[in-house]
Amino acid sequence: MTDWLVTVAAAMLVVAPLLAGGLSLAVRRPSLLHVINLTSMGLLVLAELLITRMVLDDGPLTVLGASMYFDALSVFVLFIIGTVGLACSLYMRSYLDEQVARGVIAPNRLNLFFFLFHMFLLAMVLATTANSIGVQWVAVEATTLATTFLIAFWRRRESLEAGWKYLILCSVGISLALFGVVLVYYSSLHVLSDVGKALNVTELLPVADRLNQHVLKLAFIFILVGYGTKVGFVPMHSWLPDAYTEAPAPVVAMLAGVLEVVAVYAILRIKMIVDHAVPASFSGNLLLLLGFASFVTAALFILVQRNYKRLFAYSSIEHMGIAMIGFGIGGTVGTFGGLFHLLNHAFAKSVAFFAAGNVHRRFRTVDISQVQGVMVAQPWTAMALLFAGLALSALPPGALFASETSIVTALAASGFGEDGAAAFSASFSGENGRMGLVTVFLLSAVLAFGGLIYRVTTMVWGTPAQEIVRGEVWTAGHVPMVLLIAALVGFGFVLPPPLRELLGRATNLLLLR
Amino acid sequence: MLSEMGSQLIDLCSALLLLTCFAIVAQRRLAACVDLFALQSAFLAGTAVLVGFLTDNHHVYVTAAMTGLVKVIIIPVVLKKVIQRLNVKRELVMNVNVPVALLVCGTLVILAFFITRPIIPLGHVLTRDSLAIALAIVLIGLFTMIARQKAVTQLVGFLVMENGLFLGATAATHGMPFVVELGVFFDVLVAALIAGIYMNRLQDAFDSVDTSHLTGLKE
Repeated sequence: MTDWLVTVAAAMLVVAPLLAGGLSLAVRRPSLLHVINLTSMGLLVLAELLITRMVLDDGPLTVLGASMYFDALSVFVLFIIGTVGLACSLYMRSYLDEQVARGVIAPNRLNLFFFLFHMFLLAMVLATTANSIGVQWVAVEATTLATTFLIAFWRRRESLEAGWKYLILCSVGISLALFGVVLVYYSSLHVLSDVGKALNVTELLPVADRLNQHVLKLAFIFILVGYGTKVGFVPMHSWLPDAYTEAPAPVVAMLAGVLEVVAVYAILRIKMIVDHAVPASFSGNLLLLLGFASFVTAALFILVQRNYKRLFAYSSIEHMGIAMIGFGIGGTVGTFGGLFHLLNHAFAKSVAFFAAGNVHRRFRTVDISQVQGVMVAQPWTAMALLFAGLALSALPPGALFASETSIVTALAASGFGEDGAAAFSASFSGENGRMGLVTVFLLSAVLAFGGLIYRVTTMVWGTPAQEIVRGEVWTAGHVPMVLLIAALVGFGFVLPPPLRELLGRATNLLLLR
Repeated sequence: MLSEMGSQLIDLCSALLLLTCFAIVAQRRLAACVDLFALQSAFLAGTAVLVGFLTDNHHVYVTAAMTGLVKVIIIPVVLKKVIQRLNVKRELVMNVNVPVALLVCGTLVILAFFITRPIIPLGHVLTRDSLAIALAIVLIGLFTMIARQKAVTQLVGFLVMENGLFLGATAATHGMPFVVELGVFFDVLVAALIAGIYMNRLQDAFDSVDTSHLTGLKE
């Protein structure tokens, strides 16, 4: 009975965006486009919840001839895709209507926007659920192709520049990841007899400890750099602030909230395979290195930003760095903190970019010095912006406080023999080295806090310029902001039991238990 | 006997691929770069046919046919069309001049052999050195993208990287699972088409496809 249900749900995940994309091209009426979008998002969330239930009950599943694979980790990522995707769809309801009314987007280009949006979603769902890491690669590259025109959707000179940079840098990065995938295949051919399935996670994981170490190490480096470009780790991040500044707000929310998580997920999948064959300290140290490089660099850049979209873009790099530090340290606390951080960051960053989109539409500038008194002009947005600023600097009551605290705890405790948390090489294993890292972590966190809060408060308080319209009408676009904020505050106090179960199982998967 | 000769032939084809890389690096005319890329893709298709014949893997023939269709015909034709619209036919300013670029590429080849040395013995006897050559081509493609400023040459660099990856996939592992190869072909084709559209738009917006004009966005 449940078999066909899972199959239907899994097929729904792929068919819903595919169908919605096709229909969007054929439809002209904007209201109908929104209906199609919301329906397909609703179906996607429904299917994803069903599959989550099954995975929690019965453990990992493969469906459709083992072409799709669901375990706690992929279902967790699906949950983020579904939730943030739905929030974006609701936000687009008011955002796009206004853009069309103001003539920024020609009405006849609206269906192109929705088509690309659905293809983007489809690619991300495939990247998350594909059993074969080869298919996963194809899907991650497809996300680049689907989003490059979304980023350049305004067709200004700057957006073209940002789009071209994004296309070229990410495609190149991703090519390096493909070399890594080829290497994994090269190593698995000796162990697995069925060449057609030699890239499937379900086939690779059981035999991973028999794969060649040298090949896997090399493969992991290529894949980390490749997908890391997509996440935006320093030093492969140069496309990210430009793209986040130029893309329309709902697209940025998807890029920052979801795409980064999917790319991290792709890295974690390979990490699981590599960790079977090579001691976890190898992949862990590389993640720590990238994590700290991103965290520290981004914190410094946050301090000097004069553009609020770039400010939030660097904050994305910062938080991805923090999550990587969590995964790099490993152990229950670190890994759990990393996963939890991904979720919280996705929610908080969506709120931040929704609010930034509202501010941009009212003030028509991204320059922080020219934005003052958002609280007077747009009280709802101002409160969301303020909350996002607080949450992203990891202050309570946002849940990022909880996740960042657990990561720094894991960092401080690492090396004390906590389960599996021995991911430190000799150079860091001393007491001094470890405390040095904790100091660097906390200092960077303070820098980022200062930069973010200072900039956000100068925008929120004060009196707006004379020509700025005052007062804000409640629209459908405000609903997702309120809901996401409520969720963030809620997660800070107590995690809903199913979500806690899911996170716990995903953590165990990553720790190879 | 046959396998020994086959091994030699595959090495020869891989070496020809590598040679065309050097030619692309040394070439200033945009149209000639595209021609050289088409030639390189033809060598790649040839390698794939050889591998398919010698190892009796029939789906590699399909890969060869797709390479011929997509990389020897469609992408070069599209790129030639784009170049005709552009007002610059040659790469005027190079970030790195030709002799230095060639030297760097030579170093990259040595580096590639060095990196892959520990894992080469694992490969099939038939196609041992191809993995190293594939990595060398990937690195040279990457270098081309950094060293050149025109959007067209940057795209050619990217496509050269993809050729290197395909050489790795076909020669070292006798082809990836078929679904994956199809997907990769699809991605490369769409990426090239999208880049073509971008070049047209860049031409319209900046009156140039020189990426050194893309400096509006910075800190």
